[in-house]
This record gives sequence, C-alpha cells and structure tokens, in this order.
Amino acid sequence: MLEIKDLHAGFDGAEILKGISLSVNAGEVHAIMGPNGSGKSTLAKVLAGHPSYQATAGEVLYQGRNLLEMDTEKRALEGVFLGFQYPVEIPGVNNAEFLRMAYNARRVHAGEEELDPLDFDEILDEKMAGLGMEAKYKNRSLNDGFSGGEKKKNEILQMAILEPKIAVLDETDSGLDIDALRIVAGGVNKLRGPGNALILITHYQRLLEYIQPDFVHVLSRGKIIKSGEKGLALELEAMGYDWLTTTNA
Amino acid sequence: MSGTVKEAPGQAETPFLELHKKFLQDTPPPGAVRGLAEAALERFSVLGFPHRKHEMYTFVGTQDLVGQAFELSGEGATPEQEFLRAQVVPGCENSVLVLVDGHYRADLSDTSALAGSIGVVPFAEALSDSGLQNYFKDAIDEENDVFAALNAAFMADGVAITLKEKAAPEAPLQVLCVSTGSTGGPVLNQPRVLIQVQPLAELKLITSFCGERPNYFVNAVMDILVQEGGQVSAAQVQRDPFEAWHFCKTRVTLAGDSRFFTVGASYGSRLVRHHYDARLKAPGAELSLNAVSVLGGQEQVHQFVRIHHEAPHCTSHQLFKNIVDGKSRVSVDGTVIVCTGAQLTYSDQLINNLMLSDDAHADNKPNLMIFADDVKCTHGATVGQVSPDQMFYLKTRGLSEKTAKELLTKSFAASVIDTVRFPAVAAELKKSLLKKLEA
Repeated sequence: MLEIKDLHAGFDGAEILKGISLSVNAGEVHAIMGPNGSGKSTLAKVLAGHPSYQATAGEVLYQGRNLLEMDTEKRALEGVFLGFQYPVEIPGVNNAEFLRMAYNARRVHAGEEELDPLDFDEILDEKMAGLGMEAKYKNRSLNDGFSGGEKKKNEILQMAILEPKIAVLDETDSGLDIDALRIVAGGVNKLRGPGNALILITHYQRLLEYIQPDFVHVLSRGKIIKSGEKGLALELEAMGYDWLTTTNA
Repeated sequence: MSGTVKEAPGQAETPFLELHKKFLQDTPPPGAVRGLAEAALERFSVLGFPHRKHEMYTFVGTQDLVGQAFELSGEGATPEQEFLRAQVVPGCENSVLVLVDGHYRADLSDTSALAGSIGVVPFAEALSDSGLQNYFKDAIDEENDVFAALNAAFMADGVAITLKEKAAPEAPLQVLCVSTGSTGGPVLNQPRVLIQVQPLAELKLITSFCGERPNYFVNAVMDILVQEGGQVSAAQVQRDPFEAWHFCKTRVTLAGDSRFFTVGASYGSRLVRHHYDARLKAPGAELSLNAVSVLGGQEQVHQFVRIHHEAPHCTSHQLFKNIVDGKSRVSVDGTVIVCTGAQLTYSDQLINNLMLSDDAHADNKPNLMIFADDVKCTHGATVGQVSPDQMFYLKTRGLSEKTAKELLTKSFAASVIDTVRFPAVAAELKKSLLKKLEA
C-alpha cells in the first residue's frame, strides 16, 4: 500500500530524514519509535504533504502512485490521514459542520452524493458515542478550548468518519491519561481492518500495549536503525534508546 | 483637541454654508431648533473640515468628500415598496421606524408591536423639552467632530424615541435609514435619531443604513441616553452601495447600572466612518462594542471610538475584527479614558485584522488614558494572514485550498457575528456579509 524508498527530506534546507525505506501493506500496523528529534514527526508531515517540508531525494509510492506529487488535499481524499500531535485550534469553525464538510469532500471525490446534515448527524452521533465523546463537542468550535484528551479523541473521531486507507498517527498517546488512552486506542483498534494500514508514531511502549503493532521500527537521526516485531518495543522500554544508538553508532 | 482646529472657515466649508442658507430658507426649523441649528453652524465654522494631520481624521482622507458639490436630498422621495420591504428585518414588520433621506416618515413606519412601550415623535417636537435642549446645547458646545456639527446645523428633522420606564418589549425596534441617492450630482442627507431609555426599560434595537441608489453622503448622528438600570441591546448595520459616503456618530450616555451592548457590521463603501462617543456617567454602567468589517476592492471603513469612564465601578468591552482584501482600507482609532476618581474601572479592547492581500491597509491605534490608580485596563491589536497551520490542518482533511481559506476567513468574522443578539440579523450577515469572502 505504501512504499517509502530511500526518502530524504527536510525543513528550511536542513536535512532531517536521511534515507528512510519502509514498506507498509494493507492490514498491517507499524510502530515508529525513537528519541526526540529523530525525525518521526517530520516523516508524518512529509507523508501528509506539509508545505514547509520538502523531499529532496527518494520516493514514496501510495497504491503504486507517486504520493509526493499529490497536493495535501488530494492525498487526504485518496485515503491518507494524519492524526496530529498537536491538533490545530480553529475558533469560529463549528466542529460538526467541519466534520460534515470533510466527510462530503471525500464522498464527492469518490463520486458519491453529499450527505445532508440530518443523515450525517446520525453517523456522527454513533461515532462519537463509540469514543465516549459528549454531544456538546459537536457544536463547539473545532478543537477550540478542548482539553488535550478531547483534542486527541477528536482526531480519532475524524479518522473514524473519514475511514482512511492509511493513517499516520503522530504521538496520539501524548497528553492522554490512562482512561483516555484506553478509549482512544479502542477507537483505533475498531478501525483496523484487512483493507487499511496504520503507522503509529510514539515515544513510549505504553500505547503499543493497547494497539498491538505487527512491526516496530526505531528511528534515530533520520534513519531507521532497527526493525523488528512487537517484542522490540519491550526491549527498548527496558534498555532505552541509548542501547541502540550507541551500539549502532 | 482644539489645537488642531482651523481658525476660520475656508473654501471647502463655503458650499456647505450656502447649503445651510438654502436649508433655513426652504425649511425653516421651529424656534428652539433654529437656535441650536445656528449654534451648530457656528461650531461647524469654527471646527472646519479636517486637514491631514487632524487627530480625529488621521486615517481618514476627507478631501475628496468635502470637494463634492452636494445638493440637499429632497424631502418627498419614497423608495420602491419592494426595496423597502426587503430592508425590514424579519420580525420587525410592526416595529420599524423609517427615515428616508434623513426625514422621519411616519407614513412608512409601523410600531404597532411596541404600542404602549414606546413614544415616537418628530425630533423637533422632542426639543420642546428644556432638559433635552440643554443636553443638545452642551453637546454642540463640546462638539469636536465637524461632521457631527454639520449634522446638528441641519437638525430640524429626524425622530425621537422614548422607551417607557420598565418597558421591555419583545420585538426589536428597527430604525431604518434609507438613502434614495441620486441619478445626477451627489446629494447630502443627515438623519438624526434620539433614543431615550427610561429607568429599568430594555430596548432591543436594530439600526440599518442602506441606499436605494448610489451617489449620496449620509451623515448621521444618533444620541442614545440610557437612564438608571436601563438596557439597550443593539445591532448596527451599514450597507450602502460603493458610491456612497457614510458617516455616523453614535453618542451614548449611560446612567448608573445601565447597559449598552452593540454589534456593528460594515459592508464598507468608498468611505465609511463610525464615531462612537460613550460616557459612563455613574457606577455600574456597562458598555460592550463589537464590530466587524469585511472589505474588498477600494472599500474603506474607519472606526473612531472614545469611551469615557467618568465614574467608578464601570465596565467596557471592545472587540473589532476587520477583514481586508484588494486595496481596501480599515482603521480603528480607539481610546478609553479613565477619568480621575473612576476607580475599579474594568476595560478591555482588542482589534484583530486579517489581511487577505498585499495592497490592503489596516491602521490601528488602541489607546488608554488613565487618571485613576486602581483600575484594570487592557488593549491590543493583531495583524495577520490566514494561518498556514490552520490551512494545512484543513487540507489534510480533504478540503481544497479555496474551501479551507473561505472557512477560515468566515470563521474569523463569525466570532463577532455570533455576538449579535438577533438571529435574523446574524443569519443575514452570515449570508450576505460573509458572501463577500467567497472567491
């Protein structure tokens, strides 16, 4: 589904990703771990098409097509989703209305008819109940004044509504208490299926107790320095990133 | 402020003095009014039209305006019925006062929904009250805005509204000022509205300015006097055609424990200027002034605000949101004056500007003058473009560049529109004012 080949990318002329290769197939969950500043969030932003980040070499194929040549919104419409580490607050934009716009943009792109507010509301209520979100969040401004936990839930709500083929969740666990983490992880697990894939970016092994990955990759200084199965995350938790960065240095 | 005043009337003022002669000849005002009108003309001559460095008009170019050869708008014009009907806010069909070209038109007004709560008389009639005469005499003596003085010089006509003690009618009162414009040379009309809210009465007020045809200068003055415990919730909508000049001075006087909330919305024109002069006279008075302007092309809107905290324990809030595109210009010059003894004043003021083009222009002058030592006052201004982070976020959800930008600019203005207390007005603003943001 997603094929990253020797990707070099950076920000403002500085190279942050220094040759990343990763292959993600439908139905798989990949965890990307690594210390601060290793390039995890940069990878997420490059995949989603952030205008400030430029790929300088390598390629990314999504369903056989060149992802890097697509506009940000095109990627989204084609099924790429980025769960933000810091969801952006947008005062004045009604949450439910925004969700419906995003949902309908996807439908129109797929050649389907737009859903009217009433029909959409049913879907929204159901998805929100699944995430334990109170109905009041529908009529508030998008992420405006939401607590850290509610913002992350709102990200997963968007994912549930947009039903992406591949979702990149950037530190979705940060800032969550244990109950919220369980709910968010439960929401993500419900969305797992044979037809879609997930890339989880995280610092900690904690999230991976709730969302079991098929593969774990360790990113350090812009490169994947080790890949393995889920046991690797436990090893990392026990021994720290130094264990890998020093042995591989 | 008098330091910037011209010493003698010059060339620019002369045509207006001629117009005034014609006015006195054609429609001589009754005795008491005539005295005031003459005093105002005197004041107008002393003040003179502003030059470039005039403090009140720092950001407002009036050369083009005062160079026009204006005729006075006639008295008898009646707008097309269909046009007029479309200007009435839904729900105000039986609570609307109509002024056409500055003249109060009882025949076009209908206040049956407010029967028993309000009194409505022609302005000149209200001036038989000696208290009001003194109020206007003082206002003219202290007038520092030459255009308001010009309005007062022509003040015979207009409307005076009194909301009776403890009255709180459900229906909002709409004061609809229609300019019929001109198909020939530019015309001048000068609406004057006096609103008195008696103790513990609550008025819902909508003022709307619109034009049937372009080519006019509407120069309005509105006096709003709120007595003890009274309240006014207002929406003030400016919607003139581009080829129009719109000046309006709103003078608000607040007695103890009285409140005045207003939300202004401006569509802009070649030159719009709102002047707010508010005096919080006794403890417990509260004022809230929010305003939104959405401008493009060559449109201009200027806000000049002076809020005087004259007593302790008073509160004022101001929020301005301006969106400027094309070559439009906007300015907010706002000063809060906390007078000696006005302890425990609370005042905040925030001006936000969203710039959508490189050629648009925004001037802001938030200002505080504090002569008391136990107060809490804040002020600030921001200027920015559409946030790239917000754009990126919306695009990652599949919204196009155009849709995302539209959503963000609309949301910027919507936060002020959402404070309008009349759903029908807010809905219309969202529909038509925000439509200006659609590419």
